[in-house]
Amino acid sequence: MATFAYMKILIIEDEPSLRELMTRTLTSERHIVETAATFSEAEMKLADYKYDCILLDIMLPDGNGLKLLEQIKHSDGGNSVIIISARDSLEDKVAGLEQGADDYLAKPFHLMELSARIKSVARRMRGGQRCLTVGNVRLDPESNRVFVNDTEVALLRKEFDILAYFMQRPNHMIDKTALAEAVWGDHIDSVDNFHFVYAQMKNLRHKLTSAGASIEIKSVYGFGYKLVSEE
Amino acid sequence: MRLIYRMALRLSLALIPLIAIWAAVFYFTVADQINDEADDSLEDYSELIMIRVLGNRQLPPLNDGSNNSYSITPVSAEYANEHPDIEYYDAEVYIPEKRETEPARIMTTIFQDSEGRFYELKVSTPTFEKDDLQKAILSLIVALYLLLLPIIIGLTVGIYNQSLKPLYALLNWLDGYKPGKSHTPVPNDTDIKEFNKLNVAAQKAVERSEQFHERQKQFIGNASHELQTPLAVLGNRMEWMLNSMNLNEEQMGEIMKMKRTLSSIVRLNKTLLLLTKIENNQFPDSNRFDIVPMIEEQKELYDEIYAHKELDCRVTLPTKFEVTMNDSLASVLLDNLIKNAYIHTADKGSIAITLENGTLKVSNDGVAPLDGEHIFDRFYRNSGKEGSTGLGLALVKAVTECYSLDLRYEFKEKRHVFSVTLPENETKEN
Repeated sequence: MATFAYMKILIIEDEPSLRELMTRTLTSERHIVETAATFSEAEMKLADYKYDCILLDIMLPDGNGLKLLEQIKHSDGGNSVIIISARDSLEDKVAGLEQGADDYLAKPFHLMELSARIKSVARRMRGGQRCLTVGNVRLDPESNRVFVNDTEVALLRKEFDILAYFMQRPNHMIDKTALAEAVWGDHIDSVDNFHFVYAQMKNLRHKLTSAGASIEIKSVYGFGYKLVSEE
Repeated sequence: MRLIYRMALRLSLALIPLIAIWAAVFYFTVADQINDEADDSLEDYSELIMIRVLGNRQLPPLNDGSNNSYSITPVSAEYANEHPDIEYYDAEVYIPEKRETEPARIMTTIFQDSEGRFYELKVSTPTFEKDDLQKAILSLIVALYLLLLPIIIGLTVGIYNQSLKPLYALLNWLDGYKPGKSHTPVPNDTDIKEFNKLNVAAQKAVERSEQFHERQKQFIGNASHELQTPLAVLGNRMEWMLNSMNLNEEQMGEIMKMKRTLSSIVRLNKTLLLLTKIENNQFPDSNRFDIVPMIEEQKELYDEIYAHKELDCRVTLPTKFEVTMNDSLASVLLDNLIKNAYIHTADKGSIAITLENGTLKVSNDGVAPLDGEHIFDRFYRNSGKEGSTGLGLALVKAVTECYSLDLRYEFKEKRHVFSVTLPENETKEN
């Protein structure tokens, strides 16, 4: 499994259900999580404690999250901020990133997406690369290269995308339709035959095995896959 | 039929009986008047003759150059009783001087002399030729009709055009009106009450429909927006169940199915949001790019995804074709057109994508023509395929409307043909 520091995270989100799920996900990854539902509550918590990472919803019932971001960045530059916005508008994203946010997550998002972003923040905080590592396989999303025990494995575009998707979600059940949608995009919305997924999967598995990878993409029952590490 | 033509036709038809009636009345009035005059002079004439007969004086000569003539016949008492004393009638009379018969007015009078003998006096005076008068009147009437017709129609057209200018201004405006698009207010520079009212009513109706359109758009946008988070929460909870509970295969399968259904709702919701965004012109920036690689990329992608259908997709593209539009919208347009062809072609069928003269054509095998009127409507579906949103072609339509492109559907030689004229105009101008 990947090793990274566990962080103290503040979730500023007004939607209770989403807040609960985010908390649950991040807690299960052994982060220390605190939450704030409103602008004022967040302001108070930020004044009293120091957090490694702040998940900030832009639209709060009693204020604009961007203002909070300004305060966070003024008081202390040491923490990372990931903006969460239901308005997946470009302006919010640009304004947020300009004001020093580290990342941007458009609502609605998958919790696995969230945990992947948190992992990447953690890696950056340690000054490391943005590489994903599971078992003896290392994937560099920036240069699109994959290494098994430091030996590069040549993957085609789709194979790489599939592997990246699994490596962000180790030990998770992945539905083949969700995988297809993630890799092939919205183009697959009327597809009822997933032969194209099987074909890519077959090649990827073959390449991983021949390179001596300690991870394996296993079929789970008839409907999905799971990335497991043999360690 | 234009209103003015109908009015002209009706006016010309209405004139015919009117003028005919007028001609008849005119004819009878003139004839009456002439007869009256003739009768008066006959009366005087016969009185003169009777006085001379009764006074045993010399009777006037039979031809005094006036073409009048008379005759006196003794009649029996019975005859006198049976006939009225004075009687007028028209008849043809032979005039010896002229040696021809002429129409004449005749008056017969029965009188008694001092010895009780009855006489019948018949005086006649030549009168007008009825046929001639009728002919003259008829030809004059026809001439009058032909003269009046252009004048009346000309006047009507002139007055009509002048008076109905505001109506045509309104109609012109309505022709150019498209719901949801920006427009100038209804023209209303008239002081005629009726048109004023009509214009005000039109303006109100347009405003109402605009408001309604706007609200509907907003509603769809807001509804899809509000749905996003709950849908994501639902999906994430299912995810949680799949990964954190020890479920058996059956339970997992059920949750997977739920997730798949959910993801089609999410997709539908996303597409509705996209559609709303396109309709709200939220993709304002255009840039210039070559669209050919985009088409090729989409084609390759669908070739891969639909490899199992063994379709034969032929592409005829120029080496380069630059368009000026938003690249996301271009991608939406191409994606949905091409995807539509791949989805709806039967296995081993053929698809053709061509780009010629600025027109992109995507055609595929088909059995029967689709309903061209509704095919671009939201949720119009022919196949009822599960998982399809029914919004693909509505997206295509929305993008083409954004750039006022020409989008057509035809069914030719057993093939569905969709064609779009791409916005490349700027190359020609520069």
